Amino acid sequence: MTENSAAVIKRDRLRFTKNKTSSAMILAAIAANALYFVSIYRTDVGNYYYRLFIGASIVYNLVFMLVAFLCSEGVKNYKMGYAYTSIVVGLLQIGRIFYLPREAHETQSTVVGSEHLKVMQDDQFNYVVILLCISAALLVVAGVIGVMKTTTLRKHQAELDKK
Amino acid sequence: MSNLKLQHLEKIYDNKVQAVYDFDLEVNDGEFIVLVGPSGCGKSTTLRMVAGLEDISKGKLIIDGKDVTQMPPKDRDIAMVFQNYALYGHMTVYENMAFSLMLRKQNKNEIHQKVMAAAEILDLTSQLNKKPAQLSGGQRQRVAMGRAIVRTPKVFLFDEPLSNLDAKLRSATRREILLLHKRLHATMLYVTHDQTEALTLADRIVCMSMGHVQQIGTPLELYDTPANLFVAGFIGLPPMNLFDVEIKNGKAVCADFTVDLTPEEKQLLAAYEGKTVTLGVRPENVVPGGTINVEVNSNENLGQNTLVNGFAGKHKITCKFRDWCNYKYGDNVKVSFNRKHFFDKETTNAIR
Repeated sequence: MTENSAAVIKRDRLRFTKNKTSSAMILAAIAANALYFVSIYRTDVGNYYYRLFIGASIVYNLVFMLVAFLCSEGVKNYKMGYAYTSIVVGLLQIGRIFYLPREAHETQSTVVGSEHLKVMQDDQFNYVVILLCISAALLVVAGVIGVMKTTTLRKHQAELDKK
Repeated sequence: MSNLKLQHLEKIYDNKVQAVYDFDLEVNDGEFIVLVGPSGCGKSTTLRMVAGLEDISKGKLIIDGKDVTQMPPKDRDIAMVFQNYALYGHMTVYENMAFSLMLRKQNKNEIHQKVMAAAEILDLTSQLNKKPAQLSGGQRQRVAMGRAIVRTPKVFLFDEPLSNLDAKLRSATRREILLLHKRLHATMLYVTHDQTEALTLADRIVCMSMGHVQQIGTPLELYDTPANLFVAGFIGLPPMNLFDVEIKNGKAVCADFTVDLTPEEKQLLAAYEGKTVTLGVRPENVVPGGTINVEVNSNENLGQNTLVNGFAGKHKITCKFRDWCNYKYGDNVKVSFNRKHFFDKETTNAIR
């Protein structure tokens, strides 16, 4: 098998195999996000979280999981739109760091006797930021792989159609 | 490809029931062997012993000169196609065909090439992304065959692969298997109870009954020179007509008719003078014109020929006439036999 023919075979394989790598990465991103979500309210000092954004946060997480799952299925079947969506959702995960975790990390507790504490302690902040970064990285890489593989498959299919 | 030796194989189950007795066969490289016989005759058990799915109680199994009697199935380099396809429903055709190679951690590009080549042979290229539930029975069986082909095994085993298909599809798939054998020139062992499959596919047929091998030979040998009454009755459709006759003064005599023997037959049956033997006549060897009177019971026109069932005296007889006939119930037809087989009454073996 020459190097060139190996490349052709590799491309041709895409016609019959699914993009399981991207799909699995997105599912892992959902898992990381779930870990983030279940630990975010762990140090609820006072009633800091009980504002409007707690509802928005929950809704966003639900929407995120739905969209990410659709992306997982979409990229598995080489749907270009879902690959791009995966990248966008990944970038939004980075954006989230600067909203809830950072704000909670920078806010002093209002509970009497705990004024010296922040709503979110350092260790928890680091933990959730890492989870969001992992989730974001997985989504972006999965999306990029998806775009690359889908483009390759489309070109290959076009070549076959010409023949 | 390879040759296969089944040396005096026997299968005795734990409850002492013996399913196979002294099965001895040498299969040459690229040969297509069909094991045929009625249900419960031990043909599938023999095949499963070859596959390693049943332990061999006695005897040896040798593939390519290597004794594999005690070897586990996965190491025997044998592929088996089952009656019920045994496909993975959640996998696509491509994944089903590639699965066994994936398990062996073969190079993915090589797997792809093998799957594509097998799909091309089996005309499955356009079906590769479908799941088994989206395919017809014949296509599913082709996938099962494809899964066997990609492994390029030493021996292919088929366990009644066409039994789940309707008559038309069975005929088409049968032709595909024949073409596949010619193309791959693979050593194949095929089990069926359908004598049409056996006669059309086999290089050699092994006819079995009650765990015993009755005859091994080419399809023509089994049809033309059956070794005993069982083979004579099993091979051929409609089955051979059988009559008990006494050999008397160069004639075969029974209560309802007398048949003149040819000089060769007289010589053959010289030792049976005054004794009773079984006379066998294939329906296609019963021809119109002669001295034997047949009272017609039914007339079945099959297009190219006509099956006439009736009675020669008290003996039931089936005739297969080449012409289109329109006999009615109760009509009398004179017939004769243009080819006869004789069997020893006691041993049931053919008299030769």
